[in-house]
Amino acid sequence: MDFNTAAETNIFDRPKILGKAVPRRDGPLKTTGRAPYAYERHDVAEGQLVGYPLGSAIAKGRILSMDTEAARAAPGVRAIVTTLDMEAMPVPSEMHTAHLFGGDKVEHYHQAIAVVVAETFEQARAATALIKVEYDADEGAEFDLLAAYEKMKDTPVDPEVSKGDFETAFANAAHRIDRTYVTTPQNHAQMEPQATVAAWDENGNVTLWTSNQMIQWAKKAVAKTFEMDVEKVRVDSPYVGGGFGNKLFIRSDVVLAALGAKAAGQPVKLAMPRPFVMNNTTHRAGTVQRIRIGTDAQGKIVALAHEGTSNTLPGGSGEDATNQSQHFYAADTLLIATRLAEMHLPEANAMRAPGEASGLMGLEMAMDEMAEELGMDPVQFRLVNDTDTSPATGKKFSDRNFARCLTEGAERFGWENRNTTPGSRREGDWLIGHGVAGAFRPSPATTSGARVRLQADGRIIVETDMTDIGTGSYTIIAQTVAEAMGMDIEDVEVRLGDSAFPVSSGSGGQFGAVSSTAGAYAACTALRREVARRIGHNDADGLSFARGNVTAGAKETPLVDIAPEGEIVAEDKVKFGSFRKDRMVATFAAHFVEVGVNAWTGEVRVRRMLGVCDAGRIMNPTTALSQVIGGMVMGVGAALSEEIAVDTAKGVFINHDLANYEVPVHADIPEQEVVFLDTLDPVSGPLKSKGVGELGLCGVAGAVANAVYNATGVRAREYPITLDKLLDGLPEV
Amino acid sequence: MSYLAPETLEQALSALADPGPMRLVAGGTDVFPALGDRPLRGGLIDLTRVAEMKGIAARDGGWRIGGAVTWREILKTDLPPCFDGLKAAAREVGSVQIQAAGTLAGNLCNASPAADGIPALLALDAEVELASRDGTRRLPLADFVTGVRQTALRPGEILSALHIPVQPEGARSSFLKLGSRRYLVISIVMVSAVLWCRDGRIAGARIAVGAASPVARRLPALEAALTGLAPEALGAVTTPDHLAPLQPIGDVRGSADYRRAAVAELCDRALRKALHG
Repeated sequence: MDFNTAAETNIFDRPKILGKAVPRRDGPLKTTGRAPYAYERHDVAEGQLVGYPLGSAIAKGRILSMDTEAARAAPGVRAIVTTLDMEAMPVPSEMHTAHLFGGDKVEHYHQAIAVVVAETFEQARAATALIKVEYDADEGAEFDLLAAYEKMKDTPVDPEVSKGDFETAFANAAHRIDRTYVTTPQNHAQMEPQATVAAWDENGNVTLWTSNQMIQWAKKAVAKTFEMDVEKVRVDSPYVGGGFGNKLFIRSDVVLAALGAKAAGQPVKLAMPRPFVMNNTTHRAGTVQRIRIGTDAQGKIVALAHEGTSNTLPGGSGEDATNQSQHFYAADTLLIATRLAEMHLPEANAMRAPGEASGLMGLEMAMDEMAEELGMDPVQFRLVNDTDTSPATGKKFSDRNFARCLTEGAERFGWENRNTTPGSRREGDWLIGHGVAGAFRPSPATTSGARVRLQADGRIIVETDMTDIGTGSYTIIAQTVAEAMGMDIEDVEVRLGDSAFPVSSGSGGQFGAVSSTAGAYAACTALRREVARRIGHNDADGLSFARGNVTAGAKETPLVDIAPEGEIVAEDKVKFGSFRKDRMVATFAAHFVEVGVNAWTGEVRVRRMLGVCDAGRIMNPTTALSQVIGGMVMGVGAALSEEIAVDTAKGVFINHDLANYEVPVHADIPEQEVVFLDTLDPVSGPLKSKGVGELGLCGVAGAVANAVYNATGVRAREYPITLDKLLDGLPEV
Repeated sequence: MSYLAPETLEQALSALADPGPMRLVAGGTDVFPALGDRPLRGGLIDLTRVAEMKGIAARDGGWRIGGAVTWREILKTDLPPCFDGLKAAAREVGSVQIQAAGTLAGNLCNASPAADGIPALLALDAEVELASRDGTRRLPLADFVTGVRQTALRPGEILSALHIPVQPEGARSSFLKLGSRRYLVISIVMVSAVLWCRDGRIAGARIAVGAASPVARRLPALEAALTGLAPEALGAVTTPDHLAPLQPIGDVRGSADYRRAAVAELCDRALRKALHG
């Protein structure tokens, strides 16, 4: 199916099941332990041994020698593979930066340098500790982003976007601010660590039961890393215990399990210990963001500059905090620039809403500061600078309802009763403040395929390598197929995450829901055509599929009678045409937050949160709500507590576990309210829906930060806003 | 590796006397995470089955808390208001699972500066009972914890029980903990207070602060300043002078200056909580 023009009225505009609050299909399985995660795939391969990883104890340098004699002699040990046993394995894909294994070169702390395979977990772990490693550590490696920023900030760089004469417009602006904001590195902190069961067969085929968001990427990456035929690789990941970008790409668990299994001649399972997840895999890079805004006397932005600096390993891309600033607000002149500070911290890579999540932490605080400079209501300031066109590209938004998010949110939240003078509203020991922030995140779509199999009993099995990382894919794909085929949703079985299935979009960049449901719809369209043929029609036009029947004129045929002796299989994929790129397809939100800040200690307690989201058709209000409230929790963490603490002498992430890397707990989160605007975006895809999973995070931290300022009068420009950053400036009481 | 689960104190002490490195363990909630990737050297003596170390018993007006008593047991046991602070601490030690496995004695022996149990027990004037094959000695808790992860426990000794002395009549208590999130958090600072009144005046108080010095400390000057004050009028009483025994450091959870300021506020809050609930 080619999606080459905007969707017209179609079956999804009279939905019976799409758009309904269908409970998550995998929910009962997960809450009762019947959804096996990668490390629990005990039944897929017999004789599983256990692998345990060893990580480098230095951040940069070379490994001179590895003594494995004692480890090999330890009880239960069946195989050991060290990085010195081979040349560096190829970097798995263009989206990886560091190589995952092999050779003597160390690029970052806890890079994998050995795997020990033993009969039990305890044996493998104990033997790993017996390996003696001699290093030659490089002196003078860079680990401090703020220090790097100070050195590079005055060196001019070519701007990524330069529209008009920013400098002149800024200098002549009636009002202006020039501020610098800092975000610290963050970790995805998903519950399930990376884990893989690997098994080789006698023909050199390898199967990896793993935890991954992008099955096709994983399959290709394994083939590239092991320099083998891609058809000899199978990847299976039906249940994923959280990904948030940490599982977009294969990581060393896959490589170590496969190497270990090959060396031991037996299947091997390996799960990363939590500290290894933090330092071996990826993180969201820290950023330093200089933002300059100039406005005319009425508050129209005449000049906007956003310069972002972030950390990356050499050759990587860091965290681009500037993307939203190119498109989100009307600006007569623009200057967008990024700088990369190359340093030997672990690999910086995608984490939920890469770019915007950090960038809006800066931009939305700057918008708040600018509104204050202007003496304007921050909601009004954003409304004044609303636009239907991206100032950077000149392209129109396909559908943009940001102003509605702001106005309907303000009314629902009671914005008119907010505290207007920072630091002035008290309830007992608590200073009360209110904050608002806007959110913007593109909503891309990508080719996605599926196979539908109509069974003799009238049921349908859907197969696609799409993943469900807790997002609701199982559920919304079942809804889409039930809708397209006019069936009861109970008669639709969805199978995901196996590379033997048709290639899908996978889960990432909030493109999964739009793309994979369209792919399932494409397959259903092919099936409807085939069913039509079976009842003597050339195509499905004019046929109606409802209540488990196909109706042609006055003749009604139950689907159960269509394939009495077997099944009908139909497969197709959706391809999104270039017309989609003629518009800016994006999602929008406004977040409103009320906080209490303790006047004596600076403790911040979020008291109320409201998010109003513009994300096209909401396919399932339950799963979409879960996505957004999860994002809002993550935003509270980003604002108040989540910080990877860097040992700037050694290049080590110190707080490498969930006791010390503090994500919010239930007691930190008040009741959250989420409103979805009832919008449709026919340019986005045949279902007129858009992504929502990343939107839920975007802007939240800025709204919290602005509320904290409003409560206290203390503007903390370095996230996270921990208690000690507020104390000095708290108002006298 | 050997794993021994003695059922009497005598068995436990003789196991400890055997050659070869043996570690004492109860809930294991500190011992096992502290290993990291290192294997356990030597063996383990599991103290959770030792009869003499079980249970909470009223004795001579005071209480004996066995060395194997968990935080959960403290919470479940009916105890007078002077234990409210200890119970509040019990609710804040890690998660419910940690509270069900971890013991008070283990919290003391681990001797973390941020140990949630120590301030509440200091404020109760607790003593530790240290058993060895040579007999039993008792030490005030303040003398038992000697430094960061250092105690006065000698080789061959087991912390077999805690003793809480008779508390003044009407003694009430509180415990407060400050962290960057609301729960499941490693303390920035924490305070426990026990105090009692006579004739409408505060007759005595014990206040202890954790995570603001290498070892949790009582604040004698503040305790003295409280005596004779009227509880209704109690406002901000804690002054910087009262905090002289503390030496807070800056770390990833908070700066030293922040800790000093927060302790003063937390002391006042803990006093109000003990007085007024």
